[in-house]
Amino acid sequence: MKNSLLFYSLFATGLLLSQPAPADVLADARARYAEGEYQQAAKLFEQAIETAPPQAAVFFEFGRCLRQAGQDGRAALNFQRSLVLDPRFAPAAVALAETNTDLGIPKPAATWRDRVLEHVPMDTLTLTGAVLFWVGAFMITLLFLLRAARRKGLYALGMICLAAGIAVLALAWLCDPRITDRNTAMVLTNSGASVLNSPAEQSEKIASLREGTQVQILSQRGRWFYGQVPGGARGWFLTEGIVPIIPPV
Amino acid sequence: MKHALAFLFLTFLAASTLAAQEIVAGLSSDQAAVGEPVQLVVTVRGARGADVPQTLSVNGLRINLAGRSTQFEMRNFKMSSTLSYTYIIVPQFEGNFTIPSFDVTIEGKTYRTQAMHLSVSGAAQVPQMPTLPQSMPTLPGGPPPSATSDNGRPYFAELVLSKKSAYVGEIVPVELRFYFNSRIGGQVGERPNFGGEGFTVQKFSNAVKREQVVNEANYVVFTFQSAITPVKAGTLEIPAASLEARLQVPGNAPQGLGDFFNNFPLAQGMFTETREITLQTKPQQIEVVALPKENKPEDFSGAVGKFTMDTSVSPKKAAAGEPVTLSVTVSGQGNFEGMGAPSLIGDEGWRTYPPSDKFQAADAIGFTGEKKFEYPIIARQDQTKTPGVRFSYFDPSTGKYVTLTTDPLPVDARAGNAAPAATAPAAAPGAGTPAAPGPATKPTPDIAVMANGSSHWSSLFFRKEFLIGNASLFVAWLAIVLVFSLRRFSASNTGRMLARKKQASDALSVLRVADPSAFYDRVHDYLTLRLNAPVEPGSLAAKIDSSTLPAELKSSLHKMLERHDESKFAAGGITQPSAEERESVVATLKQFHAFHEK
Repeated sequence: MKNSLLFYSLFATGLLLSQPAPADVLADARARYAEGEYQQAAKLFEQAIETAPPQAAVFFEFGRCLRQAGQDGRAALNFQRSLVLDPRFAPAAVALAETNTDLGIPKPAATWRDRVLEHVPMDTLTLTGAVLFWVGAFMITLLFLLRAARRKGLYALGMICLAAGIAVLALAWLCDPRITDRNTAMVLTNSGASVLNSPAEQSEKIASLREGTQVQILSQRGRWFYGQVPGGARGWFLTEGIVPIIPPV
Repeated sequence: MKHALAFLFLTFLAASTLAAQEIVAGLSSDQAAVGEPVQLVVTVRGARGADVPQTLSVNGLRINLAGRSTQFEMRNFKMSSTLSYTYIIVPQFEGNFTIPSFDVTIEGKTYRTQAMHLSVSGAAQVPQMPTLPQSMPTLPGGPPPSATSDNGRPYFAELVLSKKSAYVGEIVPVELRFYFNSRIGGQVGERPNFGGEGFTVQKFSNAVKREQVVNEANYVVFTFQSAITPVKAGTLEIPAASLEARLQVPGNAPQGLGDFFNNFPLAQGMFTETREITLQTKPQQIEVVALPKENKPEDFSGAVGKFTMDTSVSPKKAAAGEPVTLSVTVSGQGNFEGMGAPSLIGDEGWRTYPPSDKFQAADAIGFTGEKKFEYPIIARQDQTKTPGVRFSYFDPSTGKYVTLTTDPLPVDARAGNAAPAATAPAAAPGAGTPAAPGPATKPTPDIAVMANGSSHWSSLFFRKEFLIGNASLFVAWLAIVLVFSLRRFSASNTGRMLARKKQASDALSVLRVADPSAFYDRVHDYLTLRLNAPVEPGSLAAKIDSSTLPAELKSSLHKMLERHDESKFAAGGITQPSAEERESVVATLKQFHAFHEK
């Protein structure tokens, strides 16, 4: 019994040691990229991404590598993922804009959400909202329980904190791309995708989507997605080649 | 609620009134040569009439009111009217002139226009194109069409070009006017057909409908504004523009009845016929001159017109590796669509990226407006100033290239530990800024310095640590609320009464097992608690007497008190109560308890 336990422990340790650490894989990927071996570097970046917590910089580098390898659609996806993790990462924004230009994807109009994202990190915003909310909630509760009715200034401060906390949390909820893009996917087939009137291949074609187009997935039926395409039209398209922006955990 | 509705209604009324009466005055150009006429148009919105002066007195300028026109526009089911009073200004000699503000009276209220400035040069400044006007096409207040050619026709059309000669790339505003005699009813198409070779056409504005008298006949005029941009030099043929219409024109009586109805003059207009027509303007020509090659700035990116430039930077302080946005606003009149981005100068200490751009038109055809370019820039070394900005354009009014520059703006930007590798970027279309210098493909391992984002795909809202933290705070808040509430309750009358009841109930339950020597002490304690009697001699007996208990029960209780007094004060005490006596006392107290509970 003891021998078999020892054997399994040694086997597991050996298996772990035989797998390169994510940091080593990343360093290797960067080295390959520097040498111009983009296909190999892309594989290593993919491996590093699968084995380590997601980082905006690594997705950006992966996207840049794919771009050099001529895979603009996948590059756009990774630049977009980089921006989901860090919406203020200017190099990724610039690279995505350039890639979209090459893919023929029109630049979407900037919205108020983009302006918020430019200025504030989402986690900081969420934490600030939560802190303000609880400070306000505790302040008002204690003032009420201690019957400090005369402290109107403190009451007002508590109310302001509470309201500001709720407002900031709502803003974070509405702006965080990890929430707003949770149903967004990208077309990654070279030939693009056709949007049909109904989930049948012989049905009427509503629109064509280029590679790199972002769509909103509303529902799924078998191998068909029902979604909304840029411009607001809704229709059915095949699930093949449609990849979610936020990868499934 | 009623007050709120009334307030909203009053606010709406106030807003409507403010919007209803508005005057705007403007010059068709702020530059002119001696003898070259310039228009001053006073536009009055939301009024049926206004009193304006017939002439304005400015030494060196002859200013006379030339006419008035009314224009109706319906948009989103809302009808608006605009009155335009057009003055013709003829400069007498060169110099810089200020046309002072003057009074415009609308329905008894007096408004004042703003002062305007006109710069007059000695001679026409473009020798090749001496008659090149700089104004927009004469809008509704413009000259009527030729009287001879269209006299008496039920409908006709004309194409008005704002100038007869232009440079390649220059925006030339055009106006298509379709005239229908006011006796004709019908429908017109949404957009005219217009286009040709050698020029591009801007999107048409919405049709503006107005009334106009031409040769003593009333016409309804549909006007579409647009602009053309010549793309090659030479004589450019502008083909006819057309608009489809379905008209109800006066017709004849049915066959055989014509003679009968002709006897009745009032029946003349009874019969109409529907006619589908295509209304066409006459083709025109425009002379197009190539942009001069001499003195062409290196950074000229195709902007033709007249522009000004302004810059700003945000944020003014940037931490290491944090990008700042340098905003450059180019405003004026010209070909904003074909305009490239301004160039950055002195940007060696910065990593720059191609800018984003956004155009905000100030008119319906995109001829006037402002284009904002936003450059993300990141300091390579610590910086106290942004790069400067340079922008070159060709001014068709002078026939020369103009270069605008702005000074660097103060900023406090810290250098990042390492610069990110750029993606060998192909400059975005229209972007005039070169890509960031430095290695284009070499990766930088510490690029992560640039990215400060999250390392989670799920938002903080859904993360365990955030949820646990908030749940803990909620539990703490709930605990505080509960503790304070309990304390407050126990201090209240109800709380105190309930506490006494519980104590009494406890005292009754311990009687059976109480030490026999202290049995009557416990009985006394119980009764004191139950009747809430003060701790004074005789007070408990008085309480029993004053209670509404039955006489028999009162008597039993008094006996118990006597036994208690005996046990307390009799020398040598009393004999300890027997089990039967104790059972009897407990039964009596239970009876008392039940009665008291009622």
